[in-house]
Amino acid sequence: MKPFQVALPSTIDQASKLQLKDASPFMAAGTDLLVRIKDYVTVPDMIIDLKRIDGINGITSDDRGVWLGALTRMHDVAVSEKIQQGYPALAETIRNAATPQIRNMATIGGNICQQPRCWYLRHEGYSCAKNGGSGCWARDGENEFHAIFGNKVCAVVQPSNAAPVLVAYGAVIEVQGSDGKREIPAGEFFVTPEQDPRKDVDLTSGELVTRILLPAENRTTRWGYSEAREKQSFDWALASVTVLLDRGGRAGEHRVVLGAVSPVPLRRKDLEKILAGGAVDGDRISSLKKKVGEGATPLSGNGYKVQMLQGLIGKAVRQASGQKEG
Amino acid sequence: MSQEQTTRTLQVNGEVHHVAFPVHHSLLEVLREELGLTGTKHGCELGECGTCTVLIDGKPLLSCLELAAECEDRKIETVEGMMRGNELHPLQACFADLGAAQCGYCTPGILMAAQSLLEENDTPSRDEIVSALAGNLCRCTGYHKILEAVEWAAAQLRGDESYRLPESAFYGDPVPGEKVSDA
Repeated sequence: MKPFQVALPSTIDQASKLQLKDASPFMAAGTDLLVRIKDYVTVPDMIIDLKRIDGINGITSDDRGVWLGALTRMHDVAVSEKIQQGYPALAETIRNAATPQIRNMATIGGNICQQPRCWYLRHEGYSCAKNGGSGCWARDGENEFHAIFGNKVCAVVQPSNAAPVLVAYGAVIEVQGSDGKREIPAGEFFVTPEQDPRKDVDLTSGELVTRILLPAENRTTRWGYSEAREKQSFDWALASVTVLLDRGGRAGEHRVVLGAVSPVPLRRKDLEKILAGGAVDGDRISSLKKKVGEGATPLSGNGYKVQMLQGLIGKAVRQASGQKEG
Repeated sequence: MSQEQTTRTLQVNGEVHHVAFPVHHSLLEVLREELGLTGTKHGCELGECGTCTVLIDGKPLLSCLELAAECEDRKIETVEGMMRGNELHPLQACFADLGAAQCGYCTPGILMAAQSLLEENDTPSRDEIVSALAGNLCRCTGYHKILEAVEWAAAQLRGDESYRLPESAFYGDPVPGEKVSDA
């Protein structure tokens, strides 16, 4: 890898100014960035290591809900009682992510800002719409792990397992730069290629994720999360479905969010409407299965994801409504 | 661009080292190149294989993705620090006795991950061992003997004299150690 310098700012303001000066990348744990540097996909002269910044690490709670500091390790999120009790779908997805070692290192802030895992994007030899060129190699190339929804401009999938679950819980992403703080709903934090193919998330230069709020009013004990992948350890989802029923105890307020099938976590209001229509029975699950692939535009190698979603949504909905596997 | 050197105080296996190294070097590189501790292995370098696993403040982490410059004031443990005086750590002895290491390249990382597990949980179930070692790839053993070795070492560490390994856990002749004759 190419040698680089390491800046260790101790405040958000310092970090922000450093990035505004020369666009050096921020690093939390580095489990994504360092790999890209080793692969010559990202070749920075300097990285801005955020680990010395106070106040953005750890889990706290107040009237609004539970706050995850951006530097909180994935393992600490997964084993947190506050998360296990209040937001069990998040604990469940993180508990199974990556490997024990990575979960001990990687941070929740870095997890939602990691670069998509498209093998063309992460190869020094390819230029595409996402890294400054044009077009999408995956659309006519090798695309079995790519998007089946919203894949016209760029077919990456959002790689974070936690992201769709955060969207389902209505999480709020707190970001801060030299101009102050912003709060962005998780559903708007992830940027579609149509909005801006160069961006994965809604951060401007000098801005970093500081905390993530899981709102108290969106807790629910009726949750389901199902995911398929090729191997149990060190792998990303091929597809995932998060289902929350009666969020915050409000009857009929459901959330269905699909993961790993589009460039951003995909909330499906049409499926939520079906769920709101009445009791979760066999007929309703059949209609969900029929509908879940609607609007999909699979590429040459990833049509299987439609069938996969049909299985996963049945599983997640049954789990959320307390039914046995059927 | 020139390689900017930095100096840090690293505490490795209970010893304090003042060490100078290029600031972009990983803990793995500094352990092996500056400190001569070559027990920790280079594997994929991308966080996928686990063979570079070391313990930092008791937790298994990947030394290939940890910058050494970040490791000051943290307690680093490597496979070289496992022995107790001249005695092998029970995990090391059980791995050797059961043939849980074949080519041996993944072994240091697996020993570290297993040590961390046994420090937290002295009676791990088979599933708990599998989960704890889920970040370590082994391409030789098929894992079975590794799991048996960790179970046996756990029994030794908690002083459980009633624990019996299945005869099938051993291969070849002679059978290693007195413990087998009881079995």
